[in-house]
Amino acid sequence: MSHTHLSTHELDSERRWVISVNKNDFNYVESSKKLNKEQIRPSLTYWKDAWRRLKKNKMAMAGMIGVLLIVAIAIFGPMFSKYNYSDQITDFSNTPPRMEIYQIEEGTYVFLSAQYRLFIVTDSGEIIERLDQTDTDIVNRIYTYDNHGEPVYLDYSYRLIPDSEIDFKLTYKGVSTTEQYDKVWNTTFLLGSDNLGRDVLTRVMYGARISLTVALVATIVNLFIGVTYGAFSGLEGGKIDNIMMRIVDIINSIPLLLYVILLMVIIDDRGLWTIIITLGSIYWVGMARLVRGQVLGLKEQEYVLAARTIGVRRAKIISRHLIPNAMGPILVSMTMMIPTAVFTESFLSFIGLGISAPQASWGTLANDALSALSVYPYQLMIPSLAIALTMLSFNFLGDGLRSALDPRLRKG
Amino acid sequence: MKNYYVQRVLYALFTLYIVITVTFFMMHAIPGGPFTRERHLPPEIEAILNEKYHLDDPLFKQYIDYLGGVVTFDLGPSFKELGLTVNDLIREGFPSSMNVGLVSVIMIIAIGVPLGIISALKQNKFIDHAAMFLATLGVTIPSFVIATLFITLIAANFTFIPISWVNDPQNVGDAIFRYIGPVIALSGYSLSFVSRLTRSSMLEVLRQDYIRTARANGLSERRVIFKHALKNALIPVVTYVGPMAAAILTGSFVVERIFVIPGIGRYFVESVSNRDYTVIIGMTIFYAALYIVMVLLVDVAYAFIDPRIRLGKKMGD
Amino acid sequence: MKTLLEINNLHTSFFTHLGEVQAVRGIDFVLEEGDILGIVGESGSGKSVTSLSIMGLVDDPGRITEGSIVFEGVDLTKLTNEQLAEYRGNDISMIFQDPMTSINPVYSIGNQLMEVILRHTKMTKEEAKERAIELLKMVGIPEPEVRLKNYPHQFSGGMRQRAMIAMAISCNPKLLIADEPTTALDVTIQAQILELMRSLKDKINTTIILITHDLGVIAEVCNKVIVMYGGMIMERSNIESLYDNPQHPYTRGLLQSVPKNVTGKKNRLIPIEGSPPDLLSPPPGCPFSPRCPHAMEICLKEAAPLFKISDTQFASCWLHHVDAPEVEGYVKVAGDENE
Repeated sequence: MSHTHLSTHELDSERRWVISVNKNDFNYVESSKKLNKEQIRPSLTYWKDAWRRLKKNKMAMAGMIGVLLIVAIAIFGPMFSKYNYSDQITDFSNTPPRMEIYQIEEGTYVFLSAQYRLFIVTDSGEIIERLDQTDTDIVNRIYTYDNHGEPVYLDYSYRLIPDSEIDFKLTYKGVSTTEQYDKVWNTTFLLGSDNLGRDVLTRVMYGARISLTVALVATIVNLFIGVTYGAFSGLEGGKIDNIMMRIVDIINSIPLLLYVILLMVIIDDRGLWTIIITLGSIYWVGMARLVRGQVLGLKEQEYVLAARTIGVRRAKIISRHLIPNAMGPILVSMTMMIPTAVFTESFLSFIGLGISAPQASWGTLANDALSALSVYPYQLMIPSLAIALTMLSFNFLGDGLRSALDPRLRKG
Repeated sequence: MKNYYVQRVLYALFTLYIVITVTFFMMHAIPGGPFTRERHLPPEIEAILNEKYHLDDPLFKQYIDYLGGVVTFDLGPSFKELGLTVNDLIREGFPSSMNVGLVSVIMIIAIGVPLGIISALKQNKFIDHAAMFLATLGVTIPSFVIATLFITLIAANFTFIPISWVNDPQNVGDAIFRYIGPVIALSGYSLSFVSRLTRSSMLEVLRQDYIRTARANGLSERRVIFKHALKNALIPVVTYVGPMAAAILTGSFVVERIFVIPGIGRYFVESVSNRDYTVIIGMTIFYAALYIVMVLLVDVAYAFIDPRIRLGKKMGD
Repeated sequence: MKTLLEINNLHTSFFTHLGEVQAVRGIDFVLEEGDILGIVGESGSGKSVTSLSIMGLVDDPGRITEGSIVFEGVDLTKLTNEQLAEYRGNDISMIFQDPMTSINPVYSIGNQLMEVILRHTKMTKEEAKERAIELLKMVGIPEPEVRLKNYPHQFSGGMRQRAMIAMAISCNPKLLIADEPTTALDVTIQAQILELMRSLKDKINTTIILITHDLGVIAEVCNKVIVMYGGMIMERSNIESLYDNPQHPYTRGLLQSVPKNVTGKKNRLIPIEGSPPDLLSPPPGCPFSPRCPHAMEICLKEAAPLFKISDTQFASCWLHHVDAPEVEGYVKVAGDENE
């Protein structure tokens, strides 16, 4: 043990230093060299830092990609579609995305729909034509279809036999088929067609336009009213603030959805703008509260006080100090408002107060599909999936933004 | 302390009054009145109807009469369902809505809160990720999707679960299983929301200094969590649960429609599509009143949990 | 004097997603019964983490990575959380910095005070209540019977700190750790709280660790001082030596950067240039070297051991090495250089 001046607990084995014999070690170091030893981490601006944190958050990035994808599909999707949202091919109504096809003759394939309608299809899933039903023998459970003069017989009596191996029997030119040839994707209507023979994919992409427009514009209207109201209330303070906040409290203790419904009933015009204005004019309360809270907090900040004492004009204080600082929470709240608006719009459509036909939002599509749910579940699942994916994407993005913009978490 | 409660009650009454007034004038702002909208009635019949429903009275008198009606719990007759009053419709529909709603609210609290707590305590562990994944799905999938998924996937495969509401169950199975679909659809969103809210609130509270103090005082981890953290963490949850319960007890329009439950939500939607104005006003007021009462209960519960509200900030600060 | 607490080579780190933040990097000290030890340092020096380590309250993602904390012969680092809980609030208790946030807002003062008493003693509820009233009286809260039913928000900041002290001393702890107990308070209240702690020390016969960034506070109440910087001990001394004859450049910097109301001399305040080290990737060598006016090559390479200046003063600085250049005021310590 070296260094008798150290008692044992002052210096245990691991911290024992190697005695330096090199006297040069005791030369002073120049100050420039010292500074290099100091860790200088680049200081990031608020937004850059937030972006860096957001990029690290996998869920948030997935959400953002989802949002961008949905927006891109809404904008460009319908352009690449061979159908218009209102194009009807009534012969080809209610075809599903996936079809079980049967070969009735070498090179001739048919698909039998849930409503016992028979289609001539190719083995690659293209629908060529629908065969007319010429005879209905309910007693023997045999339908007859006409394929350009040749009858096709469908014997569906097997469905009534318990534990029957086969579903039905198709007979064409004396040859019977009971075995499924293949299961193919519908290439004429990629996601199937609805009860009027409209392309579901086109309508969902088109519905995305409507739903997202409603959500986005309603959110902007909300933002505008909410920020104006909240900022004014917060800046004025005192009595005016008190009254304005009482009003907000009252609005807040009312079930707002009812008033959306009521307004829709009163206006009785189921156009795009009615919905946007109704949604936009009702849900601003949360935003107003948030902005007021931000403004109140920021008003007391030293730098704002400093700006005031040196005589900076109020408008400039708002634009230079208050708005940029309140931007984070506002942005988060907006991201969360969009899915809520999509949700509310689809809900309104679902109870029959949405966009009027032939225009369609996701909610309208879901509502239209409800009556035939048990037969054509895909017609409901597709717009529902679109709604759920949109909500999911925005929610992930919003959650990510919230934690990225939360100053309390910035250090992490 | 009493002051606080009196103030809250007065506040609720005032809000209710505003709601009635706004709703009344909104419906009377419809040009032409309730009978001219869809079909043109002969003028003499319209006159009889107007007289019968006092529609030719001055607007202000109608308003006072209506207020009087509401005070005596009379929400007036239905224009479209002859012989029925709004009160009849509520009396008929509310019990079913409330039954389903009550079961849903109990499920939401009994599952949502513990799930949130477990997730918070096992933060970033598997169970947290799994629960929060489900919860995120829950808040993003609309109730009509949950309902239809349930019907197509589950009820179709398990025949003992009825796909729609059994009004008059003949056996115990139906009496119980008929709740499954509506309750899942009705509670999906709120259950997810409550568990997410509980989790984030719990995490926030667990970071507080007073939790560290409690630990520094040698309290057991159980006591720290269930006494010191939980009460604080429940404050935001209570705020959400009150209005949510009101919305759920009065029945979701969508769920009642899909499962064919003869509840008040369905009557409301029907009245909207029938443009049955008195029913719309009456139901809106009924809903709003229930909602306001729930908000009031939340305020009371809130004060019960948080002494800062009950006693006001007097000293210090 | 009997040894109460002995800390050996304590390392505490926080494992963040950016990497390991080494908050405490190998500190040693001994506390004897009756001591009032002051730990001083700027924020990030590791003083609070040291106290939390003793309490076993280092939160995730932090943990003690090395070393021992021996309290009355028991190594606290080896105990389970449940076993530690028996010590906390009982043998070792702690007062925190911000009385505004450190007491649970939704329970009354009496409830929280009695909870601690009931946890660690076999008293009945009535006895605990008596004891709580007695404690509140002891810490100078008027009308303790009434105040017992009050909630924290009904107390002023100073009152809350008194209530917290009452909670901490409720089971007559052998060791009381006070982490910046006066920082959040008004100056006049600060003096009152310090006075209270000093009087309580005699009344309940406890040993105190007082953590602060304020050398003035230390001068007022402590008999021993540890100066911490960058997670390490820079200087350890009794109170007189430290103020009269500081033996570490950082201690000197600290003394020069506070108003000298102790000595009454009129000196210019001299700030210490630079900023504290980044503990995520701390430089090798002495943590203070980048800011040190006397930094030498060796200081950048390795940290100095604690040189024994006198029986009561130790400093971790290479200036005390015989080979180091002479600097006025710094003592050379002869070491056995053959080994």
